[in-house]
Amino acid sequence: MDPTLVKMALGGLALLGCIGLFFGIGLALAAHKFAVEVNPKVEEVKEVLAGAQ
Amino acid sequence: MVSKRQRGLFYIVFILLGGLFLLQGCGEESQHRFIQKSAFKGKNDIVITFAAPVDETWAKDKSNYRVYEKPDPDIRLEISSISLSPDKRTVVLHFDEELNQNQPHVVTIKNIRSQGKNLGTAVVRVKKLYLGFLFSIFIGAMLIHNFVFTKYLGLCVFFGTSQKKSTAVGMGVTFTIVMVVSAMMSWLLYQFVLKPYHLDYLQIIVFIGLVSLSVQAVDTILRKINPMLFKAFGVYLVLVIANCIILAVPLILADNEYNAAESFMLALGAGLGFLVALFLMSSVRERLELANVPPTYRGLPIAFVVAGLFALAFLGFSGMSIF
Repeated sequence: MDPTLVKMALGGLALLGCIGLFFGIGLALAAHKFAVEVNPKVEEVKEVLAGAQ
Repeated sequence: MVSKRQRGLFYIVFILLGGLFLLQGCGEESQHRFIQKSAFKGKNDIVITFAAPVDETWAKDKSNYRVYEKPDPDIRLEISSISLSPDKRTVVLHFDEELNQNQPHVVTIKNIRSQGKNLGTAVVRVKKLYLGFLFSIFIGAMLIHNFVFTKYLGLCVFFGTSQKKSTAVGMGVTFTIVMVVSAMMSWLLYQFVLKPYHLDYLQIIVFIGLVSLSVQAVDTILRKINPMLFKAFGVYLVLVIANCIILAVPLILADNEYNAAESFMLALGAGLGFLVALFLMSSVRERLELANVPPTYRGLPIAFVVAGLFALAFLGFSGMSIF
């Protein structure tokens, strides 16, 4: 295998991984900042109710 | 009240961004102070206007001018004749071959002589009106090549949200925002990451990721700042991810090597074009509710027929060019 090609592929992998990580952290922060409080009772009631699907 | 203010804020940010890009796109390079204006005229002429009368013998000498297209300085364009206006301030360079006006041209004018004085050499860039070019991209994306009616993209969301005018407009505005955000991000990523590192072949995957990222971001933010609008969108906001227009625009940008201002205009045009399409369709469909449509055609089938008629009408724009 041509070492330059391997280098390119690995570089791309690392680069896209970094971009993904960066945006992932950004989204997580946004989700944290714009979090909407949901009443926990809603989930509980939904659990108890009979689900058709 | 808060939600209204927030929405206003969104619009302001939008307009500011647009202004910024326009300014950046139209920044003229500094030119020789003696040259007032340079422009293309017709298909074969370049017109240069000086600040004061120039010497006739100097102006008529072809060896004083050197003209080339900016990308290839080695290929000089042959000037066939030069004419000077009676007030001796305007020179028209005439070329036998048609000028390729999509490329900026560079004119080097040697030793300008005016009233016996030598004013030095000037390098002039002749460009097609840039604002006009941006505007033509914008109008092109919005009307002439409307993504819904002439390219048949994004039909799922188009038929899904065009039942009520209010939903349609809300969807169109959100779509435009998501479109501009994701297109600018993918432009940045393409120009500064993918291209320099020779990863262009991954563009589709990266663009899909970026689109879903911006949809997720809008989803998170909208849920907090405008729950009413969020509820009105329902499933369609998430459907934006699967909308092909939003993927088509970054691919077109990457293909045409647009710069920031041009990408912005294309994204904005595509978004607003979708808004126009949605608005037109929803106003017709609101009336169709009251019309006496045969039972087999009621609902989606008649909507498809109407969309076809709209597409026919939009065909009237095809082949038009502005500037």
